[in-house]
Amino acid sequence: MQINRTGYFLVALFGLLGLALCIGPALFGANLETSLIVASTGAIFILVAAGLAWYARHAKAKAAHQDWIFRNGIKGSATVVEVGNSHTTVNEMPLMKLTLALDIPGLDRREVSRREVMPVFTANRMEAGLTLPAYANPEDPAEFILVW
Amino acid sequence: MADLDATYAAFAAERGLESVPALGLGALTPLLVESKHCQVEPAARGRLGGEVDGVVGHLAYTRNKTFRFNVALAEVPGSTAFVPRLFCVRRGRSTRDDEFYGFEARYSKLWTESTALNERYTISTSPYQDPNWMRQLFSPALVDYLASKPPADFSFELAYGALLGSVEADDPGADGLAALCEATAHVAARIARECGE
Repeated sequence: MQINRTGYFLVALFGLLGLALCIGPALFGANLETSLIVASTGAIFILVAAGLAWYARHAKAKAAHQDWIFRNGIKGSATVVEVGNSHTTVNEMPLMKLTLALDIPGLDRREVSRREVMPVFTANRMEAGLTLPAYANPEDPAEFILVW
Repeated sequence: MADLDATYAAFAAERGLESVPALGLGALTPLLVESKHCQVEPAARGRLGGEVDGVVGHLAYTRNKTFRFNVALAEVPGSTAFVPRLFCVRRGRSTRDDEFYGFEARYSKLWTESTALNERYTISTSPYQDPNWMRQLFSPALVDYLASKPPADFSFELAYGALLGSVEADDPGADGLAALCEATAHVAARIARECGE
């Protein structure tokens, strides 16, 4: 997953709105009780912005690690053995459960399970027998990225 | 619509294709998915060009307004292991904007190594597509071909072994359909050859 323009907009919106709600009432001379009530709402907004920003940072770090595996990994292939839908969606994208026969040069062919969030079009095209490229981490061959 | 039927009938007769009123192609590429039943109507099937067989047909769908394409579908068996997805779409072609949420799957990466192609197309692949393989596929000959030979509104989508060439003209005429089929067959043959090497 990665943050997109809408994501940056939401982080900025919640952050700035939260900030405005926290300091606005005090700046405009509202009484203490009103200021506290509005500020508590603002604090929730800031927490949401912070949560989104943390998730974006986490996703970015994960993407950087996957990019490293792609650049330095051992190229092989993964054949889809079984496709299952977890019936879970992330932003309307299904979380797919794949059973794969992983074939990496220098390593034994083995069957692995994999969960991937995929756009609907791609998820619908996953079927048993499909062979996809895969890259294994040279430092930890159990870790791999699937090219779909 | 009658004119379009006549165009397809004439084109099929001229090229020795089997003319069919309508064909369901399945949800094979993103453009086909846009159409509710993934159906082309009218259609013809047979030899598109060179050694490549496939289907050519008219695709229409309504999403606020009606979009019309003429498409040619060919199979490129074995391509998924090398290039699961490759979209080469004419710059400026209107596509859906699905950016409703703040986070999305890392779905595509732009291929920008050819200036000649960038001027005419937006090319995208999986984020982890092998760049060396892409450089070999987009040889100078293919770049020259794509930059100058196909119809001006030509695009293609390769997804999991299915290659769909398309033009945006409502009724391109028999010559336009022939150009679409030739371009699609040329791209299909080139991808198949690169996968075989």
